[in-house]
Amino acid sequence: MSPRRYEDVEFGEDLPEVSPDVGMENVHRFCHATGMLGSRFMDHEKAKQEGLPQAIVPGIMSQGLLVAAIHAWAPGCQVAFVDTVFRAPLLVDSHPLCRAVVTDKNDEARRVEIDLTIVNEVGETRVMGTATVEL
Amino acid sequence: MILDLHNHSIKSDDSRAKVENYCQWIRKRDLPIDGFALSEHRQFDSESDYRPLEDEYGLLILKASEVETDYGHVLVYGVNEDMVAAFDFSRIDLPLSLVVEEVRRCGGIAVPCHPGRTRVGMVAHVHQRGSVEGVEVIEVLNGGSRGTENDEAGHLAEEYGYRGIGGSDAHIVSHIGRCATHFEEPIESIEELVSALQHGGYRALRPA
Repeated sequence: MSPRRYEDVEFGEDLPEVSPDVGMENVHRFCHATGMLGSRFMDHEKAKQEGLPQAIVPGIMSQGLLVAAIHAWAPGCQVAFVDTVFRAPLLVDSHPLCRAVVTDKNDEARRVEIDLTIVNEVGETRVMGTATVEL
Repeated sequence: MILDLHNHSIKSDDSRAKVENYCQWIRKRDLPIDGFALSEHRQFDSESDYRPLEDEYGLLILKASEVETDYGHVLVYGVNEDMVAAFDFSRIDLPLSLVVEEVRRCGGIAVPCHPGRTRVGMVAHVHQRGSVEGVEVIEVLNGGSRGTENDEAGHLAEEYGYRGIGGSDAHIVSHIGRCATHFEEPIESIEELVSALQHGGYRALRPA
């Protein structure tokens, strides 16, 4: 059971901001764990040869980072649905922030909707989306 | 009066925001805007009635559209039956000249949005193929634009004498109110918005 109760969650509540590790070493660990061994994720120079500014963080790693931010806020909660839009590449070795905020509550289902964003160092949205969370 | 003139709801295929949640968010965060427009992608939402939400939250909610042209995306205000019959909103290759002309003929106004963005904005197209007659207003502040994209929109407006509006381009609830337009005179309907956009007396701003 989640230690955070549905009744205690307010519309507009900010989840704690998270600074995820998207350094090359951590991205390599993710890529090897998932079998996503594409050079665009693991090698800056090869990514540039594909027309990218440098290596990019795999999309499902970004999703995982956002879901981890939710679980850090509400350990044991059930993330029933997560949906992301990748507006721009999230670069490996950058210093992004994961932000999340409660934007809807469904009293009957005891579910909350959470807006999710990953922004870069200058506050530009790279990934955005929503999650449905059961508490 | 401050209106956020570019937002999407769950009626758009890439948005997850419910209109009531936009209203709740504006009030919860005490955002300094008086209303907003919903510009759904490639369609006009003729069915939804947001008057109960307007009354409950004290906000003006206007309906518009965002169509896709050979010069990038374009916001359309003042959509009516004649306009819907005049061109196919669902197409992604509408000639901008046709959209501008037909929208004006039907009593509305077409406003190219996020002009500084690659492919879906008009700056690069204007530089390649020249300007399009009839454009009077462009979106110079877009909440989803990155890097120098809004600066490029501003430069285009200066170069061609376009008036400028602002809109958040929100696709999720918490992004509404990032950019908006300040009007010198009050606006209470889509007709008054169109008239104001046609005649001036407004500027783009970041409300927060």
